[in-house]
Amino acid sequence: MSATLELPTRRREAWRWSDMDALQAAANMPAGDPGADPAALFLDIEGPRLLFVDGMFEPAHSRPDGVAVSPFEAASDHPLGALASGEGWTLTLENGAARGDIQIVHVSTGGENHVPARILLGEDATASVIETYAGRGWANRLCQIGLKRGARLMRSVRLLQREGFVSIRDEADVAEAASLVSVFLGVGGMGSRIDGAITLAGPGAYGEMGGALLTRGEQRQEAAVVMRHAQPEGTSRQIWRAVAADRSTASLAARAEVVRHAQKTDGEQSLRGLLLDRTATVNLKPELEIFADDVQCAHGATVGELDKQALFYLESRGLPETRARGLLTRAFVADAIDRIGEETVREAFLEDAAAWLGEAL
Amino acid sequence: MLKIENLHAEIDGKEILKGLSLEVATGEIHAIMGPNGAGKSTLGYVLGGRDGYEVTQGSVTFDGQDLLELAPYERAAAGLFLGFQYPVEIPGISNVQFLREALNSQRRARDEAPLSGAEFLKLARAQADALGMHQDMLKRPVNVGFSGGEKKRNEMVQMGILAPKFAILDETDSGLDIDALKAVGDGINRIMRAPDKSVLLITHYQRLLDYVQPDKVHVLADGRIVRSGGPELAQELEREGYGELAA
Repeated sequence: MSATLELPTRRREAWRWSDMDALQAAANMPAGDPGADPAALFLDIEGPRLLFVDGMFEPAHSRPDGVAVSPFEAASDHPLGALASGEGWTLTLENGAARGDIQIVHVSTGGENHVPARILLGEDATASVIETYAGRGWANRLCQIGLKRGARLMRSVRLLQREGFVSIRDEADVAEAASLVSVFLGVGGMGSRIDGAITLAGPGAYGEMGGALLTRGEQRQEAAVVMRHAQPEGTSRQIWRAVAADRSTASLAARAEVVRHAQKTDGEQSLRGLLLDRTATVNLKPELEIFADDVQCAHGATVGELDKQALFYLESRGLPETRARGLLTRAFVADAIDRIGEETVREAFLEDAAAWLGEAL
Repeated sequence: MLKIENLHAEIDGKEILKGLSLEVATGEIHAIMGPNGAGKSTLGYVLGGRDGYEVTQGSVTFDGQDLLELAPYERAAAGLFLGFQYPVEIPGISNVQFLREALNSQRRARDEAPLSGAEFLKLARAQADALGMHQDMLKRPVNVGFSGGEKKRNEMVQMGILAPKFAILDETDSGLDIDALKAVGDGINRIMRAPDKSVLLITHYQRLLDYVQPDKVHVLADGRIVRSGGPELAQELEREGYGELAA
């Protein structure tokens, strides 16, 4: 572990639910069997593929097809993001270019690894990036995203690490009429911290960051996102679902900021938690900071258990209880995962969630 | 087909059913009528096996089996259907997905081969057509955004697909306009009026009985059957109210 590393403490409000002890422990984890076959982690879809093992690019198992790989310095003032210097990847698309289904797989075998990434889309360019994390240890990532006018990025990230910790910091600037949709699914056994700072930097920009965190055992996962409306007529969506079993903790903090001249902003935050056991914890923190007067910002935060009435309804039609619970929980998670546009990717994510439910319920 | 003997049941320690006895023979349709608070819905939930409804005494035999020993899904697989007074909205699960899974769970429990997607869709479409429910509603999330009448039609579509031996229909007529009432009544007759099927209609009012002719009518008051008779009893109740009987 880096000798000079100073991790944020829980005394800082933005880190109050964090589990930096788990991160430290993951970083100190000796190398071992990742328990994952990298080839099986790529979805069966066309497009560029990049494999990073312990943060090192593996050309033999990759076909970058225009995605550049080179070492660079992380330029971020985020405490974890700032650590993510090293060999990284850059996707640059010219105006009007389109690149579908770029898959990045990260496998860790122990210890810590850091990978920076940049996604820079020119005007009206479109891309879709799918990332998968597997193995063990601490994987730390910084992803800086710049979308020019009218560009569109779909970003789907799934955390399948068996143990250890995954930290991801996204920083995005979304220009006029550009669109960023990011969906995260945390279903591995690892701890996690997903951090986002998205700025809707042009009029009519669209920003979305959401997903589902499923925790069990003693696990802790969390997401903390700040969506900043810096220009008028922007739209943002933060749709997060947390499902917690056993003695685990899932935490969601979503903040929307609307600056004084960002009129006609349309923001929505939907944070919902589902407790599968009374010993589990879900923390939800929706925040709005609005300085403009002509805005529409809806927010909702609820934590509950499965609806008993719905459970009995399904059972009375012939579904065994575990199946009924699984179906209702899957539907709960699907709210967030359904935001993924591509069917193959969406189905793969839903299958990961279903597999988790099959084991946890 | 169904035999209830001296059934006592309570919720949160409060006794609601106080020695209810009733027998419904195969091929018969019975109506249970009674004032609010008599225990009508409790009877439906107890027979369906809902959590929180504790049977403290008595027995229920269904087709020779001890019904109370079975989990709700096993009761469904055995051929019992409970039509809900307030069908539950379930966002995120489509009608087809839910019903196909329910039907195939039942079929597996009975050692029957599950239906394929295509076979199931054909069956579901035919039942939706017969009930005058739009095909699109099969794809929509279960009961979400459905009107009261649409929810009740959906209950009947479900009953048609699951093809139970015995249906307990709890206030299936509540909240229906006259067209929906007629559609639901026709549905009950078409699906359940058969020599090998039986129905227990739980209702407050007589009007559904204009469409579904019961073989027997029972009056439930204060947790017991206080009177039984033929279809004419329903008319008498409609005319004279429950006052005297419940007293």
